[in-house]
Amino acid sequence: MSTRSAAKSSLALRKAASAPVMLEMCSVRVGATLFGVPITHILEIVGNTRPQAVPLAPEFVGGLVHYRGDVLTTVSLRQLLGLPAKNPDREPGNNTQGADTRHDILVLESSGGCFGLLVDSVGEVLTVSSADHEPNPSTLEGRRSALFAGAYKLPQGLLVMLDPEQLDPMRLGATAA
Amino acid sequence: MDELTREFLIESQEGLDRMERCLTDLEERPHDTELLADIFRSVHTIKGTTGFLGFRRLEKLAHAGENLLGLLRDGKLSANQSIITGLLQLMDSLRGILRTIELQNNEGEAEDAHLDAALIARLRELQHPEAAAITLSGRGQFAEAEPPVQLAHPASRTSPPAIPDPETAPSPAVPEAPAATPEQSPETGKPKAAASDSTLRVDVVLLNRMMNLVGELVLTRNQILQATALDPNFTMLSRRLDMVTADLRESVMKARMQPVSNVFSKFPRIVRDLSQLLNRKVRLVMEGQETELDKSLLEAIKDPLTHAVRNSLDHGIEMPEVRAAAGKDPEGTLKLRAYQEGSHVLIEVSDDGAGIGVERVRNKAIERGLITPQRAAQLGERDLLQLIFLPGFSTAEAITNVSGRGVGMDVVRTNVEKIGGKVEIDSRPGQGTTLRLRIPLTLAIIPALIVRSLGQSFALPQGALSELVHIAPEQAATVIEWLEGTPLYRLRGQLLPLIFLDGLLSPGLQSTRLAALSPAEEFLPQRDQFIAVLDADGRRYGLVVDGLADPEEIVVKPLSTVLKSIGIYSGATVLGSGDLALILDPGSIATRAGIAMGKVDVQVGAAMEDEEEAATGSRYLLVEAGQRRAAVPLDDVIRIERIAFSRVEYIGHRPVLNFQGQLLPIEDSAGVLASASGDPAAEIIVVVCREGNRQVGIAVSHVLDVGAGGELFEAGSQQPASGVTLLNDHVTGIVDLGAIQPLPIAAHAEPGHHSE
Repeated sequence: MSTRSAAKSSLALRKAASAPVMLEMCSVRVGATLFGVPITHILEIVGNTRPQAVPLAPEFVGGLVHYRGDVLTTVSLRQLLGLPAKNPDREPGNNTQGADTRHDILVLESSGGCFGLLVDSVGEVLTVSSADHEPNPSTLEGRRSALFAGAYKLPQGLLVMLDPEQLDPMRLGATAA
Repeated sequence: MDELTREFLIESQEGLDRMERCLTDLEERPHDTELLADIFRSVHTIKGTTGFLGFRRLEKLAHAGENLLGLLRDGKLSANQSIITGLLQLMDSLRGILRTIELQNNEGEAEDAHLDAALIARLRELQHPEAAAITLSGRGQFAEAEPPVQLAHPASRTSPPAIPDPETAPSPAVPEAPAATPEQSPETGKPKAAASDSTLRVDVVLLNRMMNLVGELVLTRNQILQATALDPNFTMLSRRLDMVTADLRESVMKARMQPVSNVFSKFPRIVRDLSQLLNRKVRLVMEGQETELDKSLLEAIKDPLTHAVRNSLDHGIEMPEVRAAAGKDPEGTLKLRAYQEGSHVLIEVSDDGAGIGVERVRNKAIERGLITPQRAAQLGERDLLQLIFLPGFSTAEAITNVSGRGVGMDVVRTNVEKIGGKVEIDSRPGQGTTLRLRIPLTLAIIPALIVRSLGQSFALPQGALSELVHIAPEQAATVIEWLEGTPLYRLRGQLLPLIFLDGLLSPGLQSTRLAALSPAEEFLPQRDQFIAVLDADGRRYGLVVDGLADPEEIVVKPLSTVLKSIGIYSGATVLGSGDLALILDPGSIATRAGIAMGKVDVQVGAAMEDEEEAATGSRYLLVEAGQRRAAVPLDDVIRIERIAFSRVEYIGHRPVLNFQGQLLPIEDSAGVLASASGDPAAEIIVVVCREGNRQVGIAVSHVLDVGAGGELFEAGSQQPASGVTLLNDHVTGIVDLGAIQPLPIAAHAEPGHHSE
């Protein structure tokens, strides 16, 4: 056998040897894209909440929500990705999208603490197989390459994986883009 | 880790802490049999438990200590400095191993075994007093000791020693007499006996959760109060709920309170070790140890206090010879004092050392580029002292490993301010320095006023709020004055700088407002506005908001660091209405808007100075003194002070003011002082001016305005008339500062001249 096909077959053997792991992801939608967050990081899903705007906050901050006795900082996935606001009528100087409309919020826990992720809508919990996981394409750059942890190929399309650690507002604040 | 081991760790740590206090007490009272028995018992107990749990290292070390302590207890040996030091080293060693157990669940054998052997040998040696007196080369696991001769002038090191090895310190003339004699005030002389039965050890996590729950209860109570305010059926119940909640809240907060002795108790040891290292004789006096403070606040001040103590010993208290030469007691005194004052707890660290050299401070600050020479020249003594709090400041000649790395005082201030406290410093050259930490008592619930701006609610802590002013839309144009882009409001004769909250929070709005600033009136919104007069550490200003709501007692919820770093918010809260509100930080807002310390006119003057003076000629501060108008060249004005008339003193006929450590002659040709003299509570306004090398004051009735003066010419000539200018179309006399007579140097009075 040529070395290349030898390598290929040993790779195939290796792949087959590690049985595909099934993982549960919570799907959320922002714009046209379906994103997934491992449910192990999700504390709760809070629906239909209007976050409180924080003037002068960094662009990615979605506002504040009251959650179980604490005031959580939320990250707006839409703003993080630089997508236009859902609600085009924003006050000048008010950079928090969440101020006017109600949103679904994922309460996530990372090593830095709890925070909220502001999304357009929360979908179902999907069970995916690690075998369907593809790493980030090399064309992905900047913030997206840090935030996305690859994607899963699903019958209905791609489920882009998000890394909760990277979504933590403290992390985002430190590595200000 | 199993329960038994965890219990063992907690109890042993407590035991070791207690023993450390006992040992420092023992040094003072080497023959106190009760102390000796107590210490022996503690070590004995630890030895027993460690054997049972299988901690061999601990057992061996404890055994060696027990042997030595046995001799002491039986009177066969007398506790001297070397023995105490050796035993303290034993405590440290045991503590280190306990920590390792906590982290690794085992004693961490291999690496440190040889150090154990050295320590055990040392303890054995101490059992024979003759051997102990022999100077040995540095040993012991903590001493990164340097040769004795260098200790007198500590050179910079990269790592701080934990404890100096006593043998390498220049041995005191009398080996038995300890160099440091820490002393505790009578009430807390003896360390507490074993915990009495009426107390309970509670997990801090549980207490924090209780605090959170109480906070939630307070918020719910607020909401219920609001919702039921109008319904008579509920008023009675609401009131009871209110009372019960308030009581519960107080009880939980009390549960978290601990006496400051928990923190102070570390200091006898620290002072002892440091004074040996630095070759100072220091007596430690501690007062008010029973004063209580919330546990988390206590944690937070531990480091700042330690740093302050180190500073005092390193830079404050002089060497015994220096003190003796200055006629002072060669033994310096370091006093730690805690007491409650209103809603704050004050903790003072004071020494009777050399004080802080204000000139050195000024020079160092200029040298480090922290301040310009011109600005430095303007600062009075009190302000100069504040320079030590700037980051990057340190006057230590050689940066010692003890203090003076240049990171010290600003970290102290930051840590204290983080918990809502303040740091004050007071120093007298040759007499000593006092550092005062002012810490708020209640942690998380504060009274606040709710204000509205940009359609949102914000909370303003009542503590900083001085008064509220309403401005009707039709008044706005006249009552708010604009001076080169800075809005001002005249509050009872004083100019108050204004900050528009909506402009601060929305830079776009602010720039639109400023861009088309002439005439200013067009940009004040046609609606009611309110000015909240705030005082943040002596910086007074008015915050303009769109609306006011009822004051509320709010629970302060912490913000994430991302939002905290914006700077103007100190937290967030949930209002009675259920909405979230950000809590504004008056001090940071002032800083952000560039409001300086001291009265507004300094800032106005600065704004003026930045401007080209070209077309309009020089600028003056227009004042009214008695019936006349006068003008003072604005460049010469340093500050405008409103002072109590009682502060005016007299040398002969001359009125003077003790201002920032200087005696200021007051020029009062208008008789302002005379009209105020009938009323002891009267306040007068003094314009403090620079004149050549000195400062003088002018007593005025009112400060009217700042304006540009056109020169007046003497009738019939082209010469500018001296001493007169045209201001706002009024002929106005310019005050001739140079004509103000200097104060007599001698103490006896000279008939004063009142200059014109």
